[in-house]
Amino acid sequence: MTLAVQNPSSESVTAIAATKLINRLREIVGEEGLLYNAEELLVYECDGYTVEKKVPDVVVFPTSTEQVVAIVKLCNELDVPFIPRGAGTSLAGGTLPIGGGVMITLTRMKRIIEVNLRDRYAVCEPGLVNLHLTNHLKETGFHYAPDPSSQGACTIGGNVATNSGGPHTLKYGVTVNHVLGVEAVMPDGSIAQFGGPCEDGPGYDLTGLFVGSEGTFGICTKVWVRLTRNPESYRTLLGVFETVAAATQAISAIIGAGIVPAALEMMDQGIIGALEAAFHFGFPLDAGAVLLIEVDGLEVAVEDEAVRIEDLCLQHGAREVRRARSAKERLLLWKCRKQAFGAIGRLSPSYCTQDGVVPRTKLPEILEFITDCGKRHGLRIVNVFHAGDGNIHPILLFDERDAEQVQRVLLASDEILTKCLDLGGSVTGEHGIGVEKISFMDKLFAPADLAVMKQLRDVFNPDNRCSPGKMLPTAGGCGTESHTHKSHPGRRAAM
Amino acid sequence: MPNSDSVFHPNTQDELAQFVVTNAASERRPLIPIGGGTTSRKGSAENAVEIHLDQLNRVIDFPARDMTITVEAGIRMADLAKILRAENQRLPIDIPQADQATLGGVIASNWSGPRRYGCGTMRDYVIGISAIDASGQQFKAGGRVVKNVAGYDLCKLLVGSHGTLAIITQVTLKLRPLPESSGFVCLGFDTAREIEPVIDQLQRSATRPIVIDVWNQNFIEGRTIQRTLSPMLYVGYEGSERETLWQIQTLLAECKQFAPRIQETILDSSVKPFLFALTNLSGFSLTKLSGQFANRFKTCLPSSRTMEILQHADPYSGFIVGSHAGNGIVFGHHAGDYRAEEAEALYRPLRELVRSHGGTLIFSDVPSDWKFAETTWANLGPAATWMQRVKQQLDPLNLLKPGCLPVS
Repeated sequence: MTLAVQNPSSESVTAIAATKLINRLREIVGEEGLLYNAEELLVYECDGYTVEKKVPDVVVFPTSTEQVVAIVKLCNELDVPFIPRGAGTSLAGGTLPIGGGVMITLTRMKRIIEVNLRDRYAVCEPGLVNLHLTNHLKETGFHYAPDPSSQGACTIGGNVATNSGGPHTLKYGVTVNHVLGVEAVMPDGSIAQFGGPCEDGPGYDLTGLFVGSEGTFGICTKVWVRLTRNPESYRTLLGVFETVAAATQAISAIIGAGIVPAALEMMDQGIIGALEAAFHFGFPLDAGAVLLIEVDGLEVAVEDEAVRIEDLCLQHGAREVRRARSAKERLLLWKCRKQAFGAIGRLSPSYCTQDGVVPRTKLPEILEFITDCGKRHGLRIVNVFHAGDGNIHPILLFDERDAEQVQRVLLASDEILTKCLDLGGSVTGEHGIGVEKISFMDKLFAPADLAVMKQLRDVFNPDNRCSPGKMLPTAGGCGTESHTHKSHPGRRAAM
Repeated sequence: MPNSDSVFHPNTQDELAQFVVTNAASERRPLIPIGGGTTSRKGSAENAVEIHLDQLNRVIDFPARDMTITVEAGIRMADLAKILRAENQRLPIDIPQADQATLGGVIASNWSGPRRYGCGTMRDYVIGISAIDASGQQFKAGGRVVKNVAGYDLCKLLVGSHGTLAIITQVTLKLRPLPESSGFVCLGFDTAREIEPVIDQLQRSATRPIVIDVWNQNFIEGRTIQRTLSPMLYVGYEGSERETLWQIQTLLAECKQFAPRIQETILDSSVKPFLFALTNLSGFSLTKLSGQFANRFKTCLPSSRTMEILQHADPYSGFIVGSHAGNGIVFGHHAGDYRAEEAEALYRPLRELVRSHGGTLIFSDVPSDWKFAETTWANLGPAATWMQRVKQQLDPLNLLKPGCLPVS
């Protein structure tokens, strides 16, 4: 069997080998835990990053850690690459099965094993949907703080792999700040537990290292998460600005005043139009930008903060600052924000979103660059993003059936991310490297940095059979490919 | 201390890298990175070279509006705090001996203080790191922006690694604004057992504490802190003045039902010396007591079990114990010269208790013949094997602080 561990573009599993593989997997998970027909596999050819596609040879749905162990051991025995997958909401191709092989989908491992409010933690399986955990905690006064916009679909295990963020990370931090421990099936098929319910366990923080390793260190099968007290009160404000520049100045003023809002989101005119058409919230269609600002905490504190924020917005050119007048209106505002990507369907058949980060004070510069970049490439780009963190999400609109447009999208994305690096930032704040940004790794890091990272991958995943082709760029290459071409192995595999 | 055969003070990161390269290629002597020298966990290497990092103390970049700072790792914590304070910002990690301790040392030892309940620990603030491995290779991870998931998070790996994987040379930190005010409620009870229901209530309190500490005894002179054998619960708050006052009043009302024997509030100008005392108390067991071994220990267990440990280690047993009770961290010492078998008899019941709750008990700064003190690592199971492999991979010759952690 020749599998694409070393060379992602080589042929996938041969028919005979595939039959053997499927038969052996059936022994582990039964027929109901397997997908292998071409039309069924099509669902798994990509995740939320649709630019690149590649079907796995087989998708398997384990229901226990023991089954994951058996699957991984089988893959090792047959020398087949494997890749874990949650709900497939990655926006960077994190679950693209480069080289095919076995896709281990964890969505049937979704139990909440324990909730311990006194010690502020919960234990859950990786396939649990993020929002289901918080829904389960309703009435307890606690919640799970990381809230990616896809939280209604994405899984805790996927969040762990990606170190996901969300709008409320400005105040509360990202996934790694809320993960106390993980149990994982390591690439050699052994089970390990890093961390657990107790803080400050002895030895190295392998939990912290595992979170965000994008499935390359093993398959997470259990997670201990920190629970957070619910805020007593919220104030949710909508600052309406004539220009993006004025809105970014207001952001600087708010942060500079020592206020840390729970969330500070910006939406530009392009996205406001789409949201209004979808949700009829009453957004001002002529505004250059709106800021969605939320402060939370004790009732005795939030009102003062809200008043200060209103003043600062008005001082920096806001034409009005609205407040959510009820809990219902607040939820609608957040629904608009979190489902913004869904509303994009009204604007174009396909989209690609980027995840660059710049120092907060460089936001005006990067946004201006994005506008120019869109003009240069003849692309429409709209923006909805975590302004308080400097984490931009330019959304490039296109039609994926048009190869020439796809090429322009790739070029523009590349330029925007390069500019983020020039401004002292990063190419990904919360979506991960995936396959999309792998070619940026050697722009972001020196060879020595990558060498240490590779040394670590070799500790956990020496054969690179677990999530091959992810996170670290492959050494070598013929050197004749363009940067953007080189960066998209999945696309190459698909074509 | 001038450079000598066994001490090296680099002036630049490059100079240090060169030194380490040369060492790896020639003598291969063990290297002991030292910041302020406030922790004494140096390992047990012979013929070692101490690398003193206190001259690597430059501020590389402080874009205050972005609320990040990039500094060399040898900067003293007190100097860093002063620079940040000028911009109304802070790194909310409480550090004893802050005029001595360096940032790199605090990161390497993952030190934390009372405010960890509300403000977190070093792993929550280090967003970029540069280091030199045992071969002299300079590498970095993370970056200078507050949100960044590119590459493996080596910041997390190096926090708490005690200098055994690499020598930390430069750090980028995420910062927080200084709070307008802070205050404390101090509640004294007859036994630690009586405190658990109070901490339990704190999980449902209308207030949001940032400190939940419990101490069974203390030795601080003066009025900054109570001198009592009673276990004291210290609950701290931060925020606007209105917010702090409201929380203190609310907590006092909520705690009436528990009838504390002592009840005090600390506000305004008393807060700073009080927090200083509390922080230094938690660092108290860091330093050797008049040349004796301090027999320091630290336990990590579920918060709900913390008071059982304090109950066990009551002052009459000779233990001096404090805890970040909200986090399940208990630390302390038992001063005195014990032979290994006496010490083992003393600590065995404590360790059994900790283990029965799924926790760990770690010793440091104990005599080398206390072999029983090392066995706690066996509790880590397969994780210890992975830690060993990480150490072997990054430091195959075992040059960095050999013997410091059992994994090496």
